[in-house]
Amino acid sequence: MSKFRKNDDKKAPGINTSSLPDIVFMLLFFFMVATTTKEIDPLVKVDPAQGVGLNDLTPFKQRSEVDFLYLGEPLSGDASKFDQGIAVQYDGIIHKDGIEHIGKWKNDKFSSKPEEFTAPKEEVITCFKADEKVPMGIIFQAREILQEENFNSIGYYAREKGNKNGYNIRQQ
Amino acid sequence: MAKREAPEINAGSMADIAFLLLIFFLVTTTMDKDLAYLRTIPKKVENPEPQDVQKKNIYKININSKQVIQARDSLIRPENIESLNGRIKHFYLINRDKKENRALDYPYYAFGTKAAFQQKLDIAYNGLDAYESKDVLTERDEKIIEQFNNEIQEWNKKIEMIELYTKFSGNKEMPEIALQAHIRLESFIKTDYSAYVAVQSEVEKAVTELRDEESEKLFNITYTAMKKYYQQNKLENTPKVREYRKYMDLIELLYPLRLIEVKPNR
Repeated sequence: MSKFRKNDDKKAPGINTSSLPDIVFMLLFFFMVATTTKEIDPLVKVDPAQGVGLNDLTPFKQRSEVDFLYLGEPLSGDASKFDQGIAVQYDGIIHKDGIEHIGKWKNDKFSSKPEEFTAPKEEVITCFKADEKVPMGIIFQAREILQEENFNSIGYYAREKGNKNGYNIRQQ
Repeated sequence: MAKREAPEINAGSMADIAFLLLIFFLVTTTMDKDLAYLRTIPKKVENPEPQDVQKKNIYKININSKQVIQARDSLIRPENIESLNGRIKHFYLINRDKKENRALDYPYYAFGTKAAFQQKLDIAYNGLDAYESKDVLTERDEKIIEQFNNEIQEWNKKIEMIELYTKFSGNKEMPEIALQAHIRLESFIKTDYSAYVAVQSEVEKAVTELRDEESEKLFNITYTAMKKYYQQNKLENTPKVREYRKYMDLIELLYPLRLIEVKPNR
């Protein structure tokens, strides 16, 4: 008889799964520590620009000293409806007034901060999460409004590019 | 008493619960950090007076709508952007520690001493006394008094800084780049955000490298490390935070980043 004869009398031994919860919990804790919560689902396409020596905004986020706005082509709908084809997303919505709405949005956000929030108006960062193709004219329009409203800190959002790669700039 | 054995709890579904939690966290979180270049918009001034700035004190960078960069007199193609940080460092360093034979096209350095600052402080105090001893104060007088108070604060700060500098470097003289020296960043309305950020990146890189080097020499810790610690803990008023703030102030005085971003009109 062959050595590989099926032995019908013997059952396969059961795998001990008692340590499975421990393993899964370990994974869970790893992800809880290593990740941050997603703020909102983007409604515009944002391919970030690249740079080196960027400032980490995490400590500012923890103190809610930073507000993000998103600029880029809308993911759905007609881009030509918007000024220069760029939609501006504030929190969950794309506002029809585009960048002109930024002053009101910032003031609303500032007045709804919790009471223990101590940072003055000038230090609350407005971070532009802009697509790499966004024309600078829009950003400077926003800067002018922010200056008018005394929100003097801004951030130019970008991704770390690493020292070996070049900048990804559209050539014309 | 009859001893009843406690029934064993079935932990078989524990793994399922943990998996559920794990999947929840996987879906609602992201791995990437938010990174940005932090800049300040200057405070709004009514009727700004036009200032006369000497040409040698300006490092002008212009990005056109085709993402071609002009830095002072040289054109830089988008693929050569990396050369910009060396140029900016050159702008800062060429006249540093030079009291003669200076390059004429670049900002000069001033060498302040504690005695000189003290003298300036005394002048400000005397000026303040003259005005405060007046019986009737007009609105204009009050403005001047405020100005003197600001000046006194400024000189006191400078004296504190030079004491710190002397303590750590042994030099009695503190090199300071011309007050007007700045980087002027001009763009077009149609300039891409990516090109603009690339230039910001090169400026940041140049200044950070200069600051890190100086900071390492003086305090044996890089400016970047101090800044990171400070940003995380700035709300706590501990001695370490205060110390780092002071060190950072000194480094920022030695290598100031004065970046003027000009609103495009074409």
